[in-house]
Amino acid sequence: MFRVIGKVAFVAGLLGAAAVLSAQVRFKDTEWPTHSADLAGSRYRPLDQINASNFNKLEIAWHFKTESIGNRPEFKLEGTPLMINGVLYATAGSRRAAVALDAATGELLWVHGEHEGARGAAAPRQLSGRGLAYWTDGKEERVLYVTPGYRLICLDAKTGGLVKSFGKDGVVDLKLDDDQTIALIDGEIGLQSAPIVAKDTIIIGAAFREGMTPKSMHNNKGFVRGFDVRTGKRLWIFHTIPMKGEPGYDTWEKGSAEYTGNTGVWTQVTVDEQLGLVYLPVESPTGDYYGGHRPGNNLYGESLVCVDLKTGQRKWFYQLVHHPLWDMDISSAPILADITVDGHAIKAVAQPTKQGILYVFDRVSGKPVWPIEERPVEKGDVEGEWYSPTQPFPTKPPPYSRNGVTPDILVDFTPAIHDQAMTIAAKYKLGPVFTPPTASKVSGLLATLTLGTAGGGSNWWGASYDPETHTVYASASNASLTPIGLVHAPKEVSDMNYILGTDGQEIRIARGPGENAGADAAPIPRTAAPPPAPVNPLNVQGLPLVKPPYGTLSAINLDKGEITWQVPHGETPDAIRNHPLLKGMNLPRTGQTGGVVTAVTKTLVLAGDPQVTTTADHPRGAMLRAYDKLTGKEVGAVYMPAQQSGGIMTYMVNGKQYIVVAVSGGAYSGEYIAYSLPSAD
Amino acid sequence: MKSLVEIALLGMLAMAQDAPTRSVWDGVFTQDQAQRGQSSYNQYCMACHGGSLSGGEQAPPLAGGEFLANWNGLTVGDLFDRIRTSMPLNNPQSLNRETNAAILSYILSVNRFPTGQTEMPSRSEVLKLIRLEAERPATK
Repeated sequence: MFRVIGKVAFVAGLLGAAAVLSAQVRFKDTEWPTHSADLAGSRYRPLDQINASNFNKLEIAWHFKTESIGNRPEFKLEGTPLMINGVLYATAGSRRAAVALDAATGELLWVHGEHEGARGAAAPRQLSGRGLAYWTDGKEERVLYVTPGYRLICLDAKTGGLVKSFGKDGVVDLKLDDDQTIALIDGEIGLQSAPIVAKDTIIIGAAFREGMTPKSMHNNKGFVRGFDVRTGKRLWIFHTIPMKGEPGYDTWEKGSAEYTGNTGVWTQVTVDEQLGLVYLPVESPTGDYYGGHRPGNNLYGESLVCVDLKTGQRKWFYQLVHHPLWDMDISSAPILADITVDGHAIKAVAQPTKQGILYVFDRVSGKPVWPIEERPVEKGDVEGEWYSPTQPFPTKPPPYSRNGVTPDILVDFTPAIHDQAMTIAAKYKLGPVFTPPTASKVSGLLATLTLGTAGGGSNWWGASYDPETHTVYASASNASLTPIGLVHAPKEVSDMNYILGTDGQEIRIARGPGENAGADAAPIPRTAAPPPAPVNPLNVQGLPLVKPPYGTLSAINLDKGEITWQVPHGETPDAIRNHPLLKGMNLPRTGQTGGVVTAVTKTLVLAGDPQVTTTADHPRGAMLRAYDKLTGKEVGAVYMPAQQSGGIMTYMVNGKQYIVVAVSGGAYSGEYIAYSLPSAD
Repeated sequence: MKSLVEIALLGMLAMAQDAPTRSVWDGVFTQDQAQRGQSSYNQYCMACHGGSLSGGEQAPPLAGGEFLANWNGLTVGDLFDRIRTSMPLNNPQSLNRETNAAILSYILSVNRFPTGQTEMPSRSEVLKLIRLEAERPATK
């Protein structure tokens, strides 16, 4: 039985003003009406009250602690709130409730949560999620979000109550009517991203457990569906793994399309409402690092797919990685950009990626804006694996973060440090992007050492876009080393030939973000304690194995296909700044491993530090930074009590601009913090 | 004459009123305790935080620079309470205080803080008198 956990209050007077929206429903550019600010994925608002001259004067206007939303605090707040007509909407807490706050004061207006019991406990993607969607026809206002248990909830934005006429009493069970049979309680499927609504159609993707150590080559499939925002009726479905008779089915040899799963769209979707086109970034198929059970190119794994907004019919697609073997999920919102290349106006779509390559296409035709070359890549020797002989390499723009590991990027603060790094790296296969995974051998190589794979480049936080200067701003992790070693899986662990692991170490099942962590999560049975694993540290006396910068912010001009500027993002970590081996060295800022959500205003790019530091200038905490969007020069920074762990957005209400950022981590539970300028100097 | 309880209470009050005077560099756990903690760690924590405490895609590292920066300037009590109230993630508050103190001892030992002669206590308020300092103080 599901129930509303509470409606704290609602402010009818404040919300009643929503009626001023016209029937056309044009949102103001002082609002933030959808997850990425607009359906084009820009995260841009042309606001300038907060600018380079006053950024350092920002103070906390209000903050909203999410600790009591759920039966335990959450320390991984990733949401981006929406702001429409003076009300801020967000998902929050280990319960993943929807909340409405007064955007000027942070006062709680209502909260709606769902107790999902065993179904919530079995959900692959728990915790607070990345946000929700808002819809209005000028009269009615609705808020939509997906629960951990994969149910689409439709709320009255004024009250937080369920809209009874939508689905069944305000809920669409997303495990039903999905062209496959999924067990309602423990069938593996969910979604942590925010739904979006375009022209009265809600678009919903799917997510699964981590795919590094799958239990089986068989899994549910991550189809994408469109639903009517008024009724909850399913309008269309797109099969991200083609069904028999559909184009692309033959890219799954030996009938592997029948049983392979995953291949969902777990991140944000982008829509061009004028063209009536939807852009779907598709993740990896079952088995992130071993594809021997799915021979062939595996469409639409790791592809950008364009479908019709009304019908879900495929318009065009481009597979960015053939036969995926590196967990290069297309992990963030495609960005729609109207650009001018060599004097020609192009309606483009730009896709940031984990591999630090920005792929740019004509979004009408799907043709690359700059040539993409199919180049031969190394073939591996893992038993039973199928290898694509080539992979696509864009000729422009150049990669904006590292996507391979070669000796020249190993840490070299001193020759002795470099020697130690070389000794550690000697146990691994090194190489450029698309170097194949290695079957792990204690007596030989333990793994392929990779960057720009599972945790590299632009993960879910994606990038932002400035429609004035035609520039993409991408925060990227530059030092998230991922060793990809494969081991035979014991039959009781997996029916796959190979899963991720290290020879000689106990097989460890990789858990997904938020798996077994939400408010409904129940204990899982414990097996006997495995012996301690041998340690293969990928660092030299605590120093990262690769050189700085560990994380960057890049500006990429889409008219030219060039990186305009690139700066390290994030304070130099304490462990580097205070390292005894580096005493007396004058290190430039190194940036920090990890990336963050960014936002763009009239003049600034906004991004918080992804890690906390303690420096002479500030107590333990992290800085929220403003960069001049034209030059990359840091023009201001204000203190946050914890690192930016989630979204950042901006809006204006009652003549005042606010910046809201989601912070959490370590001892600091999830909190939305709103900054604004002081009312009086 | 004051009872022993009163003396103990006065002593605790005196301690509570002072700023933390001890740090993790003063040998605040024993080797035995850390070894017990390793066994519990492997059972309850390793699946997410890794065999070498290096973290996973979901879970932060519990050893090394990022971990120490995250907790530097707080107290052992803050870290103890974070573990006690929210871990293991799939079944919080299922481990008793002694087990949590042992796991925390193991984490500190992997981070190369020195062992001592006395076991780490398991009361949060007492542990809040021990500072977490990433860097060894110059005088030690």
